[in-house]
Amino acid sequence: MDVHSRDYRARARQIIEETPEVREAVNAATQTFVDNRQKAFADLDGTALSRWAERVKSHALSHLADYLEEAEARLVERGAHVHWAETASDVHQIFECIVREQGVKKAVKAKSMLSEEIGLNPFLESCGVEVFETDLGEYIIQLLGEPPSHIVGPSIHKSLDDTRVIFHERLGTPRDASPERLAEAARDLLRDAFLTADLGISGGNFLVAETGSIALIENEGNIRLSTSVPRIHIALVGIEKVLPKWADLPTFLQVTAKSATGQPVGCFVSMIQGPGGSPGDEPDGPEELHVVLVDNGRSRLLADPEAWEALRCVRCGACLNICPVYRQTGGHAYGYVYSGPIGGILGPGLVGLEETLPLPFASSACGACADVCPVRIPIPDLLHVWRQRAVERGLTSDVERSVLGLLTSTATRPRLFGWAEKAAGLLPAPVLRHLPMLREWSAGREPPRLEGPTFRELWDEGIE
Amino acid sequence: MRVSLFVTCLGDRFFADAAADAVRLLRSLDVDVDFPKNQTCCGQPAWNAGHIPQAREMAAHTAAVFADSDYVVLPSGSCAAMLRCTYPRLLEAPVVAERSYELAEFLVDVLEITELGSGLEGRRLAYHHGCHALRELEVEEQPVRLLESAGAKIVPWEMDQECCGFGGLFAVKAPEVSIAMADRKLDTLPDVETVVSADGGCLLQLEGRARRRGVPIPFRPLASLLWEARSGRA
Amino acid sequence: MSDERVSKRARARILGRVREANQEREPVEHPGTLPDALEPPGPFGDAGRSDPVGAFEDRLRAAGGEVVRLADEAAARKWLEEFAREFESVSVGVGVPDTLQPALPKAQPSEAALGVSVAVGASAQTGSLVLSSKEGRRSQLLPPVHLIWVRAGDVHTTLGDALQACREDLPATLALHSGPSKSADIGQILVTGVHGPGRIIAAVLLGPRP
Repeated sequence: MDVHSRDYRARARQIIEETPEVREAVNAATQTFVDNRQKAFADLDGTALSRWAERVKSHALSHLADYLEEAEARLVERGAHVHWAETASDVHQIFECIVREQGVKKAVKAKSMLSEEIGLNPFLESCGVEVFETDLGEYIIQLLGEPPSHIVGPSIHKSLDDTRVIFHERLGTPRDASPERLAEAARDLLRDAFLTADLGISGGNFLVAETGSIALIENEGNIRLSTSVPRIHIALVGIEKVLPKWADLPTFLQVTAKSATGQPVGCFVSMIQGPGGSPGDEPDGPEELHVVLVDNGRSRLLADPEAWEALRCVRCGACLNICPVYRQTGGHAYGYVYSGPIGGILGPGLVGLEETLPLPFASSACGACADVCPVRIPIPDLLHVWRQRAVERGLTSDVERSVLGLLTSTATRPRLFGWAEKAAGLLPAPVLRHLPMLREWSAGREPPRLEGPTFRELWDEGIE
Repeated sequence: MRVSLFVTCLGDRFFADAAADAVRLLRSLDVDVDFPKNQTCCGQPAWNAGHIPQAREMAAHTAAVFADSDYVVLPSGSCAAMLRCTYPRLLEAPVVAERSYELAEFLVDVLEITELGSGLEGRRLAYHHGCHALRELEVEEQPVRLLESAGAKIVPWEMDQECCGFGGLFAVKAPEVSIAMADRKLDTLPDVETVVSADGGCLLQLEGRARRRGVPIPFRPLASLLWEARSGRA
Repeated sequence: MSDERVSKRARARILGRVREANQEREPVEHPGTLPDALEPPGPFGDAGRSDPVGAFEDRLRAAGGEVVRLADEAAARKWLEEFAREFESVSVGVGVPDTLQPALPKAQPSEAALGVSVAVGASAQTGSLVLSSKEGRRSQLLPPVHLIWVRAGDVHTTLGDALQACREDLPATLALHSGPSKSADIGQILVTGVHGPGRIIAAVLLGPRP
């Protein structure tokens, strides 16, 4: 996927000013997620759970190579093909070979953020493969030609009416169709795709080293169908998704579902160990299972002693839901596959700081994300690491540097500082309004009142 | 007992009366207040924006100014959090960190005061929790308890713990988002006569937006309300 | 370059970089199994331990599933006869005993009105039925209504126990079904039966194993 993060401010402004309904839809959806999450953790020692989950993930990452080899061995024993890809183009090549050798014409795809990361759909289409997104939300935005705006709810920025319009145009449903009628139309069309596709594509929430299991959580059943009905299944799994043991999985399934939507566990969970039908001994299921282990920047981030903890992320989206910055715009403002707080630390880590600026700055540093992360990623601290580096590498504005330089040199000279505070009150308002930064402030807010004495002056006069 | 007031740069310039109220309040509780004249800015704007050497310089300056203070009391949750939680990352021996308190926190946790007076009888207030006071200092109940014990009704506000959108330089780097965040706070505000907060940045943000939109509610610093609670003077 | 050579090169490089990255790192110990104390209390805690079937029922119902308890095989057959009346055809998973199959015309899973499975286990903690791909997946997924038999003795208190019981003989795919297929992707309004079965009925056999 192309990264367009540089336009963050312009896109955010556009969403806020021109499409207020997006802001409303995102606010409502994220509030529901937040409330449900809170209920799900109400009776639990959430801190103890997240401490445990944090340690399991950190342990897995600190022994990652061994666990990847273990998972690979288990999968191969069960007859799966394991591929490794360093970059998006490696993944493309692997898909191209499979698709060409097997004569794949149609693919059904379950939601996978990693596939968005590596731009899989456009690539497959360029190979002549028709790709159906089968998650209802993904399907809606595929029809609209938009990227997902949320890790868990890709279409949360769309209203019922948006879906009515596009389904009316593309599927011929009535203009005032009920949500049930719309879902049924999508179900019918996609059911046909499930039954006729050669290839099913999925991501992977977890990869259990001990058993080689790929675990997937969902609510619609489209992941189960994508991984069960077509002849070939390809699972795209980031190398950081490893869990050491089978016994670790049940808690991670629950913690992830609770954090994402407040459910005890998704309506459907798949734990895939190998191919199903022939040559296996099972009545049906894919004949071929391909697992593509993808790096795409992850090993580089792992080597970063200050920023690696972002790799613990389980993609639950809780930090997006709680984030007051994310809630004003939804994910499209960020111009990167991962938005919100987690995007601000995954983007620079996986793609590069220059490419994903100003994402680490798209945060008011309120810290709410750290309260809800189920694997205790210190998101505010990591955002700050990237801010620091942006400054060190000279990537922030000259104005900002000058203003903070000025603040520092006055703040270390107390008499000058006192004088400056006093003098600020003497500047006429029209002048203030045109100073850098105060201009941005004044565009939508009244400037602070500067009249009257400073506290220093009151102190000198004596406080009664 | 002797405390040093760190008025903070926003407090000095924009909330001088409230800082004076903090002095009156502390003196009325038999606390000896001094005001080290060399104090300036705690360095948070620079830290927050990622300018570490500048933040460190200001932190070192501030730590030196308050080196001999028994307690440093700040009428600001955010700056108190900077001293207590961030100085240890910037300075080698940040003794000032463990002696610094936000005003309400100091009253309740150190002076063990539960009631200041009855000067807020019948007042309907909303309380905005600044993010750093809430999450870094974990100051949540102290200001609310002091206001309520003086007779104020703190009206429930579903967004009382959500960020106002100030966020230091964030307010001018992503102004449209920052303003949208303030609007969410204002749009959900219950029927109250005054909104109170311990943080100057939040107050400037919320008040600046409210005035621009013509929302007639006053936004006032916690220190002033606490002094009213004690003195009964509005 | 062929995909195998791409993959081989990528494998060596990725594992090399990962090992190098971890060389300097202090290894983190695995914290072991989650202490019992952290298993959530509430409907599936104390109550779940004394009455896992009741807790399972509460959970699955809360997610929109249906549960029926049947005292013995005779009661089960009687109930099944009544239940099957509203369907025209059925697709049955491999291994469902003859006695638990409804007397309905068989149909392909994609055409059948009802799918019937036998769960290999269940979890009270999450209201989940554990299904094995060994019985065939299509009858679990394609019919709009899914009837799943489960023996009371196979209902475990926690999801951990339920999965541990399957550990030694994992099928190609082990699945959890914990409610009807649902989605809120259209305007945040909940609809059921999107792709998978829109109705899920757990029929719990209380009697001893035959």
